[in-house]
Amino acid sequence: MELLYKNIDEPGLNTIAVYESHGGYQSLRKALAMDRADLIQELESSELRGRGGAGFSMGKKASFLPKDKMDKYLVCNADESEPGTFKDRELMQKNPHQLIEGLIIGAHAASANCAFIYIRGEYDYVADILDAAVAEARAAGYLGDNILGTDQSLSLVVHRGAGAYICGEETALLDSLEGKRGNPRLKPPFPANQGLYQGPTLINNVETLSNLSHIVRMGAKAWSELGVKNSSGTKVVSISGNVQRPGNYEIELGIKSRDLIYGLAGGPPDGREVKFWFPGGSSAPILTAEHLDLPYDFDSMAGAGSMLGSGAIIVIDDSVPVVDVALKLATFYRNESCGKCTPCREGTNWTVHMLERIDSGEATPMDLDIMASVQEHITDHCLCVLGDSMAMPISSMIKYFRPEFESHIEAARHRNDLGAPPSPHPVEAVGSAAAGPYTSVA
Amino acid sequence: MPRPEQKMVTFTLDGREVSAIENSMLVDGAKCVDVEIPVFCYDAKLGQPVGACRMCLVEVEGINKLQTACSTPIREGMVVNTESDRVKESQRAVVEFLLINHPLDCPVCDKGGECPLQDITFGWGGGTSRFIEPKRHFQKPLALSPLIAIDRERCILCYRCVRFSQEVSEDYQLILSERGAHSFVSTFDGHPYVAPFSANIVELCPVGALTSQAYRFRARPWDVEGSGSICTLCPAQCNVTLTVRDERVLRVLGRDHDEVDDGWLCDKGRFAYQAMHVGERITEPLLRDGGELRPVSWERALQSAISGLTKAAGRTGAVVGGETTNEEAFLLQRLMREGLDSPDLDSRPGGALALDLHRALADPALSATVVDIEFAHAVLVLDCEPVDDAPILDLRIRKGVRRKGVKLAVASSRPSSLDANATLSLRFAPGAGEALVAALDAALSGTGDVDGLAASAGADVDQVRELAALLSEAGEDVVVLWGERLAHGPRGDHAVRGLLNVASRLKLASADGAGLLEIPSGANGRGLRESGLLSNAGPGLGEPGREGRDTPAIGAALAAGDLTAVYLMHCDPVRDFQDRGLWNRALSKATTVVAHAGYLTEGLIEHATVIFPAEAYAEKEGTFTHPDGRIQRLRPAISHARGVRPEWQVLATICKAAGLEMTFHTVPMVFRALVDAVPFYADLTLDEIGGRGMRWQQTAAAANLPTASDRAPYQLTAPPAALTPNGSLRLGTYRSIWAGSEVAVSPALKFLIPHQQVELSPDDAKRIGVGHGDRVEVTYDGAAVNAQVTLRAAVPTGTVFLAEATDSQPANLLTNGEPRLVEVRPA
Amino acid sequence: MTEVRRFTHGSRIPGWDDAVDFSKDPAVVPDAATTPVPEHLRAEIEEYMARYPDFRSASIPALRAAQREHGWCSPLAIEQTACVMGLTPGYLTAVGTFYDMIETQPSGRQAIYVCTNISCSLRGGDAIYSAMLEAAADDSDLNVRHFECLGACDIAPMASVNGEYVGPLEPSDCATIIADVKAGREVLPDKQLRRRPSAHTIAKQES
Ligand SMILES: Cc1cc2nc3c(=O)[nH]c(=O)nc-3n(C[C@H](O)[C@H](O)[C@H](O)COP(=O)(O)O)c2cc1C
Ligand code: SF4
Ligand code: FES
Repeated sequence: MELLYKNIDEPGLNTIAVYESHGGYQSLRKALAMDRADLIQELESSELRGRGGAGFSMGKKASFLPKDKMDKYLVCNADESEPGTFKDRELMQKNPHQLIEGLIIGAHAASANCAFIYIRGEYDYVADILDAAVAEARAAGYLGDNILGTDQSLSLVVHRGAGAYICGEETALLDSLEGKRGNPRLKPPFPANQGLYQGPTLINNVETLSNLSHIVRMGAKAWSELGVKNSSGTKVVSISGNVQRPGNYEIELGIKSRDLIYGLAGGPPDGREVKFWFPGGSSAPILTAEHLDLPYDFDSMAGAGSMLGSGAIIVIDDSVPVVDVALKLATFYRNESCGKCTPCREGTNWTVHMLERIDSGEATPMDLDIMASVQEHITDHCLCVLGDSMAMPISSMIKYFRPEFESHIEAARHRNDLGAPPSPHPVEAVGSAAAGPYTSVA
Repeated sequence: MPRPEQKMVTFTLDGREVSAIENSMLVDGAKCVDVEIPVFCYDAKLGQPVGACRMCLVEVEGINKLQTACSTPIREGMVVNTESDRVKESQRAVVEFLLINHPLDCPVCDKGGECPLQDITFGWGGGTSRFIEPKRHFQKPLALSPLIAIDRERCILCYRCVRFSQEVSEDYQLILSERGAHSFVSTFDGHPYVAPFSANIVELCPVGALTSQAYRFRARPWDVEGSGSICTLCPAQCNVTLTVRDERVLRVLGRDHDEVDDGWLCDKGRFAYQAMHVGERITEPLLRDGGELRPVSWERALQSAISGLTKAAGRTGAVVGGETTNEEAFLLQRLMREGLDSPDLDSRPGGALALDLHRALADPALSATVVDIEFAHAVLVLDCEPVDDAPILDLRIRKGVRRKGVKLAVASSRPSSLDANATLSLRFAPGAGEALVAALDAALSGTGDVDGLAASAGADVDQVRELAALLSEAGEDVVVLWGERLAHGPRGDHAVRGLLNVASRLKLASADGAGLLEIPSGANGRGLRESGLLSNAGPGLGEPGREGRDTPAIGAALAAGDLTAVYLMHCDPVRDFQDRGLWNRALSKATTVVAHAGYLTEGLIEHATVIFPAEAYAEKEGTFTHPDGRIQRLRPAISHARGVRPEWQVLATICKAAGLEMTFHTVPMVFRALVDAVPFYADLTLDEIGGRGMRWQQTAAAANLPTASDRAPYQLTAPPAALTPNGSLRLGTYRSIWAGSEVAVSPALKFLIPHQQVELSPDDAKRIGVGHGDRVEVTYDGAAVNAQVTLRAAVPTGTVFLAEATDSQPANLLTNGEPRLVEVRPA
Repeated sequence: MTEVRRFTHGSRIPGWDDAVDFSKDPAVVPDAATTPVPEHLRAEIEEYMARYPDFRSASIPALRAAQREHGWCSPLAIEQTACVMGLTPGYLTAVGTFYDMIETQPSGRQAIYVCTNISCSLRGGDAIYSAMLEAAADDSDLNVRHFECLGACDIAPMASVNGEYVGPLEPSDCATIIADVKAGREVLPDKQLRRRPSAHTIAKQES
C-alpha cells in the first residue's frame, strides 16, 4: 500500500499542477468544510502516531491546544538530523505539496494562523523547493487570508536552521526558531500550552503532517485499518548502513523486520550477517539478529526494549567491532549536546573518554561497569532526552556485547604493552578527540 | 498589573504536612520548613527557572521521572520526597558530573569557605569520584573586564551569569559561546564585559569562576565580618553588606531588599568602597593659609570656621549635597536658622519650589514605591535617565517590562538606555520639560492647545497624543518616575504644577499601585527636604519662619557681596552645578567658605577656607530617606579613619559655638529630635526602622503631613517655547553614573572616569563637516568645550549633548541652567 | 616491567584560554551612525525580520546572509548584522557559535561537508573525508569539514558540496569534486541526490 510515496518519482510532482492532477488539495477542501472538533476527532480516531520519534498521538496533541481565541502556531519539524533518518528529505523534495496540504489541515485542526516549517540548514536545496511550493500554494489561495473563503487564515514561512542536531528536539527547535541558541526548554509547560512566542503551539514531524491529507481523503477508519493495532498507517522507513540497497521504503507498519532488512534492503553484503541494528535511528537501543523476526511496529519494538523512533533502521554487520560503533555514537552525542544540563553535557563527554581508553588499551573491565553506571545516571536525569539518546543505545550495546567489549579491552591492553600499533578501525572515530575541535596536547 | 494574590496550600514534604504559597517553587516552599534542596542554576532573582543543573531533582508522587524542585510549582495535596534513595542517588550523580572537570583548587580559590559547590558537595555528594580521565586545564585567571576575573576551569556552566547579563541587566554582553562540553562564558570578540551592573555576576556565581579583581586574595571568609548598611552614592540607597577586615572595607555585597534594590548593586556601589582607603581622601581638617590649603589641627579648623561663620552670621548661606544624613541636615538647618539667624539654606541645586507644591508632592496617596514600578500597568520615565540617576531602578523597570508586562514610556531629551524596552519613546528639547508636561496635560484633559504646547516642547504632537493615550488606557496603576531636573530653574513651579495636573488627570492618587516617584538629584534629596534643608520650609515641610534664598540666589548673593560666608556640606557647586561661572565668582568673593568633603575637587581647591574631612559612609551613623519615603539606617562598619571626626559632632560643636544649646551625645538622640520636629516622622523609632527601613507613609503619623492649600488641576500659564536650532544647536547635558570623586579615586573604577564627548546626530555632523572621533569645539558666548565627536543615530537632529562633571571640559563651562543654543565647529 | 602510563595533559578547547582585550570598548548594540552596512545586506536582513512576529527569529537567516556576504561570520559581519537587528554582537555570537554552519572563525567560502556519521562511516565515509582533505590540500577558499549525519544515508558515503548532495562517493571522486568546485562547475552531476529515483521506486520496478 502506498500513500506518501505514490507517484513519488513522477516528474513535476513537486509542482502544484501535477500535484492537483492527482487530486491534490481536495482533502484540504474537505477538511476546511469540517468543524474543528470533528476534524480533531477524525485525526484522533485515525490513531496516527507522530513520525518524528516519540510516537505520540497526533490528534490528541492537537486537542491539547487551548480553545480560546489567541495567536496559535503550527510548527512542522523538518530538522531531520537523527543519524540514519532521511525520509523527510525525500518527502519534501519530491512531494512538497503533500506536506503543505497536510500542514494546512493540521493548522485548521489547531486553529493556528501562523505556521513555520523548520528545516535543517543543510537541506538548502530542499528548502528552495519548499519555498517555491509555498509560493504556488499561496498564489492558488491555499495559504493567506480566508483560505477558500473560510475563516481559516494561515501564513507559512520556511525557516532554515544552521546545523545543530538538538534543534530537532521540539522545545530546542522553538528556541532556535525564536532566534536563540537551540537549547531545550523545561517541560512543563508543554508547547501545546506555551510554545513559540509563548503561544500555544502544535509541533509535528514532516511525515506526520504529510499523512493528514490521506486520512481526510480516505476517512479515519479506512486509514486506521492500514498497519496493525496501535501502529496504524504506513511508514516511510529509512534503511542504511551495511545493507545492499539503502534507501526509503514505504511499508505498512507491522511487517516483519527481516522482510525490511533482507527483503527490501537486500540485507548485508554477501558473506556478512546482521550483527545488530538500530530500529529507530541511532537513539534507539540496539537489537540483534535474534530480533529480526519481530514485526516492525511501535509496540513490538518497545516490547523488545527498543523503539521505533523515527523509523530509521541502521544495520551493522559482523565485520564491525561494537566498540567502534559505540565510540562513533557517543562522540556524536557529545558533540551535539547543547550543554545546558549537567548529566548530558558531562556524561556524554565522560563516556567518550572512557570509550577512547577502551580502544587505546588504557581501560580495565571495571571501566565497563563505570560506563554502564554513568549511562544510568544520565538516563531520566536530563532536561531533554538527548542524553538518554546516547545512554540507552550504549547501555544496550554493553548489555548485548559485554564479552566483546571485554576482549577488546584485553586485546588493546595487550597491544599497548607490546608497543604494537592500534588495531585497524573499520569505523573511525572522526570528530572525536583525535580530529575534532578537542585537541590533546602532550 | 495588580499584585497577584497569594493563596496558601498544604502539601506533604518528606512525610510532613507543610503549608506554602500556591505555585511558589518547591525549593522555596521547602525552605519554609528548613528542608534544603540543593540548587546551582536556580536563583529566584533571575526569573523563570531554567532547570539546567539538575541538582534539585526530587520525587513527586504520581510523576514517573524525578522532577526539578526549582521549577515545580507547589500545588495543593502534592506529595514530595526529597530523601528517597532515588533522589539521593541522582544528587550524588550530579555532583559527580559537576566535579569531573572542576579543578578542585579550593585551597587557592577565593570562593573557598563561602562556596555553594563546596557546601553541596559536602552535603549531598557521594564523597568519591570515579573519573580518572585527565581534567581540562586552562590558563587562569583571565580578565573578563578590569573588574572581573574569570576562571573557566572552575565554571560549572550554571548559566547564572549569562542570564543576569541577558535577562536582568539586559546588556547582553556576557554570553555562552559554542555548544555542549565546549561551551564557555565569554563576550563578543574579546571585548571586555563592562556595563553598569556587571559585577553582580561575581556574587551570583556559585563557584569561584568569577571573582572580583579588587577582592581577589584579599581575605578568606573566616578573616572577615559582614556589616549591614546602605550605599549612599545615589538616591537608590541599595542595602549592602560591607565585608570588613581589620577596619578596612574589602568588599561590598548586596543585602537583598525586594522593596529597595531587588538584590542587585551597580558597579559603582560595589567598588567605590575603595575610595574610603585611598591617599586622595581628606582625613584631616584643611585650612587656607597663604593661599594654600594646609592640614591643621581640629581646634584650629573649628576655630576658623566658627569665627568666619559667626562673623558673617546672618550673611551666611548653606548649600547641601545629597550625601548628608537627615541628622546632619537637621543640625545644619538649626545652625543656620537659629545659630546664625540666616534663612539662606538649600539642598536643591536647581532652585526652590513653592512649599505648597512640596506638600502636594509628598502626599502619601500620590507617592509610588519602588515595587509599584514592577507591578504597574504603565510606567512613564520622565526627564531622567535611571541608569545614571538611580541605577538600580533601571533594573526594576526592565524587570517590570520583561516579566510583568509593564508598558513603558520614556519622555526625555537625550536618547535613553530604556528606549529599546519602551512602547513609546518621546523626545523633547532639553529644558523644555515644563512645556512637555503642559502638552501632556492638555492631551489628557482634552482641553488646551496640544499642538502649540508640543511645539513649545520641541516634541512631536502625535507622540504626545500617543503618550496620553497609552497612559490613560493602560490601566489604573500608572507610575511616573521623574527626575528633579524637571523642576530645575525659575519655572520649576510651573513644571511641577503641570506634572501634578497629569497625575490628577490620571487619577494617580486614587489607585494603590499608582503614583509619582521622584529621583532627586542628591542621594538623600528627599530626607534633606523633609529635615528642613529648604529655603522655604522648615523640618517636616513646615513654615520656615523666614523665607530665605535658594541655591541660585545664594550664589548670586555671594557674588554680589550680599552674603559673605557659605557652608558647603558635601557639595562643590563649581563642579556639580549648572552655573560654573556664577559659582566661581560667588566663592571667590566669599570671605569664608566652610566645606565638608571627602576629596578635593576643583571648586574647593580654589576657594575653600576650611575643609572638614567627611566621613566615609562605612564610618557613618544616621538615617537617609529613600525617594519613596523609606527611612533607612546607615550603620558604621568600621571606625573612623585617623583624623576624621563624626560630622554631626562637628556641626554640633559649631552650633554650640553659635550659641545653641546642644544636648546630644549620640546620633540616635539627634534622630529623636528630628522625629520630634518632623510631625509625619513621629511614629518612627530606630528599632522599628531596623535593617530593612520603614516608609513613613505607612505609619499613622503620615496624616500629620501639612496639606497643600491649593490642589491640582492648576491653571497653567503658557510655557516658554523651546529655542529653535538655526544652525546653532540646542545644548543638552547629562550626568553619567561614573561621574564623581568616588569613581575617580577608586583604583578599580578609575578606568570608567567619564571623559567629555560631544554627542551629535549624523545629520548635524554632516552639516558641520565632522565625523565620528573628530575634535570639535562647542561654544557659547565666548566659553568653549573642546572634545571628540560621538555620532549617535538616536540623537535628535538639532541637539548636541555634553556630559556634566567630567574630569575636564565639563558641560557647565557653557551652561547656567537655562536652555541655550550653542555653536559646534571643527576644532 | 612496563612503565605506568601517566596523563600529562588535559584537553583544550579553543577560546577557553582567551582573556578579553582592554583596548576594546564594551560591545553594546552598534550605532547605525558609525556602523556602515552594505545596502543589499541591510535590505535582506530587514526582509527576514519582517517575516516573523518577533524580529529576533531572523537571527539565523540574518547570520547566514552576513556569512554569504563576508565569507564567514567575522566580527565585522556580526557587528553589521547586530546593527541592523538592533541586537548586541554578543547576542549574535552566542547564537552563531551554537550552530555548525555558522563559521565564526575564518574559513573558506566553499563549504564541503563530508558525512562521517555512522551510516556513512559504515560504508567508507571516513576514507572519503581523508581523501577530500587531501584533494583540497590547503586551499584557503575550501572549507572541508566532517559533518554529522546530513540526512542522506541512502547515498552513503556522501558529501554536501555547497549544499549539493552527492554520493555514493568513491575516494577517487574527491579530486573531481574539488576540481569542479574550483572551476565553478556543477559537481558530479551523475551522483547528485536530487536526480536520483527513490529506492522505493527502484524496488517496485524490480519486483
Ligand atoms: C534529541 C532529539 C532530536 C529530535 N530530532 C527530531 C527530528 O529531527 N525530527 C523530528 O521530526 N523530530 C525530532 N525529535 C522529536 C521531536 O521532539 C518531537 O517529538 C516531534 O517533532 C513531534 O512530532 P510528531 O509528534 O509528529 O512526531 C527529536 C527529539 C529529540 C529528543
Ligand atoms: S561562570 Fe559561574 S555563574 Fe557563570 S556559568 Fe560558570 S559557574 Fe555559573
Ligand atoms: S536548581 Fe533546579 S535544575 Fe538547577
